[in-house]
Amino acid sequence: MNFLAKMKGTTKSPPMVSASEIIFSWLGSFLGIASVAYINFHLVNDSDFVMLIGSFGASAVLIYGATKSPLAQPRNLIGGHVISALIGVAAFKLFNGQLYLASALAVATAVAVMHATKTLHPPGGATALIAVIGSENIHSLGFTYALIPAGAGAAIMLLVALVFNNIPGSRRYPEFWL
Amino acid sequence: MTNEHVEACVPLDISDGDVYEAMKEISGYLDITPADFKEVYLKAYQHALQRLTQSVRVAEVMTKQVATVGPNTPLRAVAELMSERGVSGVPVIDADRRVVGVVSDKDFLSHMGTGEAQTLMDLVAECLRGSGCVAKPIRQKYASDIMTSPAITISEDSSVLEAADLLVKKGINRIPVVDPEGKLVGIVARADVVRSAPPRGWT
Repeated sequence: MNFLAKMKGTTKSPPMVSASEIIFSWLGSFLGIASVAYINFHLVNDSDFVMLIGSFGASAVLIYGATKSPLAQPRNLIGGHVISALIGVAAFKLFNGQLYLASALAVATAVAVMHATKTLHPPGGATALIAVIGSENIHSLGFTYALIPAGAGAAIMLLVALVFNNIPGSRRYPEFWL
Repeated sequence: MTNEHVEACVPLDISDGDVYEAMKEISGYLDITPADFKEVYLKAYQHALQRLTQSVRVAEVMTKQVATVGPNTPLRAVAELMSERGVSGVPVIDADRRVVGVVSDKDFLSHMGTGEAQTLMDLVAECLRGSGCVAKPIRQKYASDIMTSPAITISEDSSVLEAADLLVKKGINRIPVVDPEGKLVGIVARADVVRSAPPRGWT
């Protein structure tokens, strides 16, 4: 296929999910984010810790909205967030004088390492980026950022996914663990 | 009806491992698990089989050179024609080629002898009991006297699967094929349907 012909695409968009799937996706996302956000705003509010980061919104899309995707499996969810967080913090520490470079390196390296460890999880890219462009509070966490919020938050969302996604007859979760 | 027929064709048996190996041959990340892919494959296979079976029209498999008789054809001529053409049934058509009935060997059997024979052997037994010529009751009769009427017909645009379903449900061996005006254009027999089936192991 020549270069321009490739841009036309080759197939059609997959079918829409059922109404019940839409409702379950909403409900799961609500419960998952509510759990993490409650801890963030009510339990760790007075400490230096945060529990809620933007990339969890993206994780919710996968683990409550596309439960069968390999990208949404526990290995990817936990591994993707923790590995990407470590890479993001490292990038910030090494290149905090040149934030454009630190940002790009953090995300690009996170994608590559997630691939290499079979933990590809798209929100991980955001987790890595947040380590660089996040608040002072985030920066002050250092590598702890990989444990809390990244690892702990993902673990809480995983717990909600394990319970919630196995209640409807039409759903099961996970497809695999490791 | 369709699923029963279609599922009789066993799809190529693939394992999760086969899918895993195939996924390794495709460069780039595939956002689907081997198990889900296998499920999609098996379902897609059934859809393809159904589409292909249903896309074969009756017109493509029917016999076009049909031996026919008229309502007033003497039964002797009907029998001779069936014998000559080696068929077990013929459509009875009127002057406009509209199908008014079908005469089959079963119709002959049930009108011969004492009129109670269902099979050839019933008739042979009756004959051997010595009750005279078993053909006597129909000797002076015509096609319209013994034909099954009204005839079950099928349009030339129907699918072979529909023809197969009709053959089984009505317990008949052939169906006259008619055009939109109801005029005879061919005949589809059980053998025609069997020949049109995709070969086993087809992929």
